[in-house]
Amino acid sequence: MNTQVNTPTRTGMPLPIIVIGAILLVLISLFPFIWMAISSIKTLGELYTIPPSWWPAAPTLDNYYTVLFKSNIPRYFLNSVIISVGATGLALILAIFASYGFARFEFRGKAALQSFVLVGQLMPTAAIIVPLFITLRVLGLVNTFWGLILVYMIITLPLSVWMLTSYFRAIPVELEEAAIVDGASRLEVLFRITLPLSTPGIIAVLVYAFVTTWNEFIFALCFATDSSVKTLPIGLAEFSTEFNTDWGAVMAASLVMTLPIALLFLTMQKLFVGGLTAGATKG
Amino acid sequence: MVRQSTGLVFVLPALIVLAMLIAYPLAYTGLLSVSDQQGNFVGARNFATVLAARATPQAFWNTVYFVGASIVFQVILGTAGAILLNQNFTGRAIVRSITIIPWVVPGIVAATTWAWMFHTEFGIINYMMTAPGLIEAPIGWLTNRDTVMPVLIAINVWKMFPFVTVMVLAGLQSIPNDLYEAARIDGANFWEEVWHIMLPQVRSVITAVTLLLVIWGLNSITIIYAITRGGPANRTLITPIQIFRLAFDAVQFNQAAALSVLFFAVAIVIVFFYVRLVQSPSGGAR
Repeated sequence: MNTQVNTPTRTGMPLPIIVIGAILLVLISLFPFIWMAISSIKTLGELYTIPPSWWPAAPTLDNYYTVLFKSNIPRYFLNSVIISVGATGLALILAIFASYGFARFEFRGKAALQSFVLVGQLMPTAAIIVPLFITLRVLGLVNTFWGLILVYMIITLPLSVWMLTSYFRAIPVELEEAAIVDGASRLEVLFRITLPLSTPGIIAVLVYAFVTTWNEFIFALCFATDSSVKTLPIGLAEFSTEFNTDWGAVMAASLVMTLPIALLFLTMQKLFVGGLTAGATKG
Repeated sequence: MVRQSTGLVFVLPALIVLAMLIAYPLAYTGLLSVSDQQGNFVGARNFATVLAARATPQAFWNTVYFVGASIVFQVILGTAGAILLNQNFTGRAIVRSITIIPWVVPGIVAATTWAWMFHTEFGIINYMMTAPGLIEAPIGWLTNRDTVMPVLIAINVWKMFPFVTVMVLAGLQSIPNDLYEAARIDGANFWEEVWHIMLPQVRSVITAVTLLLVIWGLNSITIIYAITRGGPANRTLITPIQIFRLAFDAVQFNQAAALSVLFFAVAIVIVFFYVRLVQSPSGGAR
C-alpha cells in the first residue's frame, strides 16, 4: 500500500507471470487434497475404473462409515489428541520457565546451555531411536501415553524455548522492574506481567508443538506398537495393509486426520507464521 | 549472587528433560555400538559388520541423493514462490494461506495421497499423462527402479517448499523500501531488483533455512517409509530407514547403534562444514 504512495513508478513482476504463477501455486498445493476429497466419496467400483473419473457419478459416504465405525481410527484419533495435548502442555510449562530464565537472567554457562537446547533441535532423530527404545523399555514406558509424551519433548521443547525466549526478550524490562519495586516476587512477575503480554508467542508455540506432535510418525512407529496407544499417523499407515489398501477408506481417513490440523492452522495462521519467522528476520 | 542461581533454577527443569532424552541416549548409543547383545565389549566389530553390508554404502548415497536433490528444488521453488507472494495482487492473502498447507499437513497424509495419485493402474497422474499423449503407456512410478527416487524427491519437495516460501517471504518483507527506491532511480527493472536487491538481502535467511532442510532431510523417514519402505531392491533405502530396519526388523540393536554413530558423525561433519562454509564469506564482509 504505502509503496504505491511513495513511488508511483513501482516496478513489479509482469502481470501475466503473477497470474500464471499464482494459479500454478494454488493448483500444486491444493490438487492432492481435492483429489483426496473426491476419492473419499467414490464407490469402490468407481475408484478402480480406467480411466479415472473426475467427479463421482454416485457420491457415497460409505468410506467415512468404514473409517468411523468399522476401524480403529476413532480410537487412534483419541490417542493422538491425548498425546499431542499432553506433549504440548508439558513442553509449554517447561519452556515458559526456561525461556524466562534465558531471557531475564545472567548466569554462568548460559550461552553453552542455550546452544545445547538448539543442538537438540538439530539432531538427527534416527540416531537416537535405538537407545530411546531401550531406555523406555527399561522404564516400562513403551506402549504408554507417557512414553510418547516424554519422547515428544525432544521435538517440541527446543524450538518452544527458542521461540519464547525471543518473545520474552521483546517485552520491556522496565515493566517487570516496576512490579518488583512494588514487592512482587519473580514468579508473580512472570505470571502476572510477562505471560499475559506474550500471549501471541504462547499461542504460536502451542500451535507449533501441537501440529508437530500430531504429525509425528517415526517415534510413534517405534514406541507405540499396541493399538491402545497407537496414534493416527500409524493408524493411517497400517490402514493401507489392514484393508488390503482400500483406497477410498484411506483417503477418507486422511481427510479426517488433516481436518483438525487444517482448521487449527487456518485460524491461527497469522500468529503461527509470525512466531516462526520472528527469529529468522531478526538475525 | 542470588540472581545467578535464580536463572539456573528457571532453566533447569527443561534442561534436565532434554539431557535425559538427548545426551543420555547419545552416550548410550556409543556404548551399545561397541558391545555385543550380552553387553560384552567387542571393539569395532559392529562397525565392521555394518560397513561390510552391501546396503550401507547404497543407503548412504541414496540419502545424499534424496536430501541433496530435495533441497535444491525446495530452495529454488520456495524462493520463487516467496518472490511471487511478495508482489501486490488481489487474492494474495488467500494464495499465501493455500501455499502453506502442504507443509502443515501430516507427512503420512502426503505420502498416502501421492501414492494413490501415482498408482500405476488407477492413479490420476498416469491418466493425466496418457490422455494427452505425454507418455504412451502407464508408468509404474513407484515400482520402477528408475522413477521411484525422483518421484519420492518430488513429493518431498512438494511437502517442504512452503516452509522456504514462508521464511524467505518474511525476509523479503523486511527489506527497507529505500533500497528499491534507489534502484528505481537508477532505472532498474524488476528482474534486476530480484537479482541485485532481493536475493542478496535474503541470503542469510536462505542459508539458515537450508541448514534446517539438511537436518530435516536427514530425518525424513516418513514419506519414504510409508510409500516404499526402502524398496524396490533397496533403491530408496536411506540410512535412517536402514537403522530402523536393523533395530526393529532384524533386532540387531548393537549394529543399529553402530550405524547410528556413523550416521550421526557424518551428519555433524556435514553441518559443521556447512556452517563454516556459509559463515566465512559473510564474516569477512562485516
